Amino acid sequence: MTEITIAWIAAPFFVGFVIYLLPKLDRWLALVIAIFSAAYAINIFLLDSSIDVRLLDNFGVTLLVDRLSGFFIITNALVTAAVICYCWQTRKKAFFYMQLVILHGSVNATFIGADFISLYVALEVISVASFLLITYTRSDRTIWVGLRYLFLSNTAMLFYLIGAVLVYKANNSFAYQGLLNSPPEAIALIFLGLLAKGGIFVSGLWLPLTHSESQTPVSAMLSGVVVKAGVFPMVRCALLLPEIDPIVRFFGVSTALLGVGYAVFEKDTKRMLAFHTISQLGFVLAAPVVAGFYALTHGLVKSALFLIAGVLPSRNFKELQYKPIDNSIWIALVIASFSISGFPLLSGFGAKVLTTKNLLPWQVIAMNIAALGTAISFAKFIFLPHQKPGLRSEMRGKEDGEKKVQAGFWWAMAILLGGLIVANVVYYEAYTVKNLVKPLLTIFIGWGIYLLVIKKLVIKLPRAIEQFDHLIGVMSLSLILLFWTIWARF
Amino acid sequence: MLEACVLVTILCGFLGIIFKKNLVMKIISMDIMSTGVIAYYVLIASRAGLYTPIVSTKEVAYADPVPQAVILTAIVIGFSIQALMLVCVMKLAKNNPTLETSVIEKNNTP
Repeated sequence: MTEITIAWIAAPFFVGFVIYLLPKLDRWLALVIAIFSAAYAINIFLLDSSIDVRLLDNFGVTLLVDRLSGFFIITNALVTAAVICYCWQTRKKAFFYMQLVILHGSVNATFIGADFISLYVALEVISVASFLLITYTRSDRTIWVGLRYLFLSNTAMLFYLIGAVLVYKANNSFAYQGLLNSPPEAIALIFLGLLAKGGIFVSGLWLPLTHSESQTPVSAMLSGVVVKAGVFPMVRCALLLPEIDPIVRFFGVSTALLGVGYAVFEKDTKRMLAFHTISQLGFVLAAPVVAGFYALTHGLVKSALFLIAGVLPSRNFKELQYKPIDNSIWIALVIASFSISGFPLLSGFGAKVLTTKNLLPWQVIAMNIAALGTAISFAKFIFLPHQKPGLRSEMRGKEDGEKKVQAGFWWAMAILLGGLIVANVVYYEAYTVKNLVKPLLTIFIGWGIYLLVIKKLVIKLPRAIEQFDHLIGVMSLSLILLFWTIWARF
Repeated sequence: MLEACVLVTILCGFLGIIFKKNLVMKIISMDIMSTGVIAYYVLIASRAGLYTPIVSTKEVAYADPVPQAVILTAIVIGFSIQALMLVCVMKLAKNNPTLETSVIEKNNTP
């Protein structure tokens, strides 16, 4: 199994460059890599024990593959496959697929790395690859958004590096386990890097602009899997070291509330989804034991939603009220929205129940509010007007610049939504009357609040905090906050 | 004493990122910050001794090779990221000749 693991982790990088040499095969090779990852993840689930790999000598790279990584890897594989299908007929160049495959590989590397330096290298490769994907269109705006992303993540990673060397100083090793013997400032610095990278709490406010201004497939990839690369190491640390667990849970709850607070009032589809990513990462962190399953459902649903948002006639919810969407797209949208709100029969329900079961008492109220906020914000999608496909083109002609939905889109939906339904069986014990009542109640209250209050409200939240200088400044504030919480606990 | 100097370098770089208005200056500040981080690694590597870790007959105190090897990777990554950013700056300079971040931001955010 060790050999397969090494071959699997090296393959995306190798194939990435091969794609550039053989541009004719680009899509096929990329798809093969995604399928390879999916097969590998299934293999992990079939194994009983975890795989521990130590490459080279004592100071070499350490890898740890277990069920938790399996969930994240399968998310990555499915989302990548869906994105490739979506792009199949869009005439993207080989360069795009090359970056996509390299991004896929480096995200996988964060899911199995078990020491801070392999993690650092993987995270930096992710920064570069996602930067190149964001700036794929080469317009001034995308270049600025990409530059901002690269700058912020690189600054955060510099802090992370200082933390990593402090861990080394205390333990003579970079392994995750060393975090416990390290001084509080080491933990604070490392977590600052991971928080900023994963888009969590206030240091994650770079995320809405980046994810909403990228192209549709890139946003799906960023929101679906790339942010998980920052979250996964925190979950891993929380599971390895019980002392870290309360800190991770605390950030989970705060980011869930922050994200949902913005999402409820947002009037732009893609920005709403991006804020919602911030909030859902909170659910992943809130119960580290079951983080894998939640990350899987969120990854599938969020990339599906971003792909759907790309084919809607407008990005503004107000305008969408006057532009009915096709029934078929609406059904896909409703399935995804239901799953994320936690409606039974879709895996979002199982994930929500599982997370709720593993919450600590002090988290319960806050997470219920966040779940209610989720239901409110996705009511915006569910209550969009819709009609039969033929009607609209007859009514308005073609001058509207209508976006044509390609077959690739439906393939992507089949993978993502099919995954949601299949993943439902993972936790079938969730279907008890008691478990069923609560999410349904939450959803109906959420819809009620949306129809009665939120729909009529016009509140524009200020965007000042998303400015570049403020984002860097907030980094120093969150460093103080982190240091303070960790220092108080140790 | 040396440790304090290194940390001051990092802090100077960070403050530069916040307070400098020009994008190129911000990138240079980030470079200063990363210089500080690299120096910190080298400093920690030299805790045990200063000699190059090559086996010889003499009994000397060796420097720790691990942080040095690690920071070499980080230097390469940092340098490639810097190169990418400067290419971006060249592209942005066509339409925003002053390269002030506030102006670029105003022109390019919806």
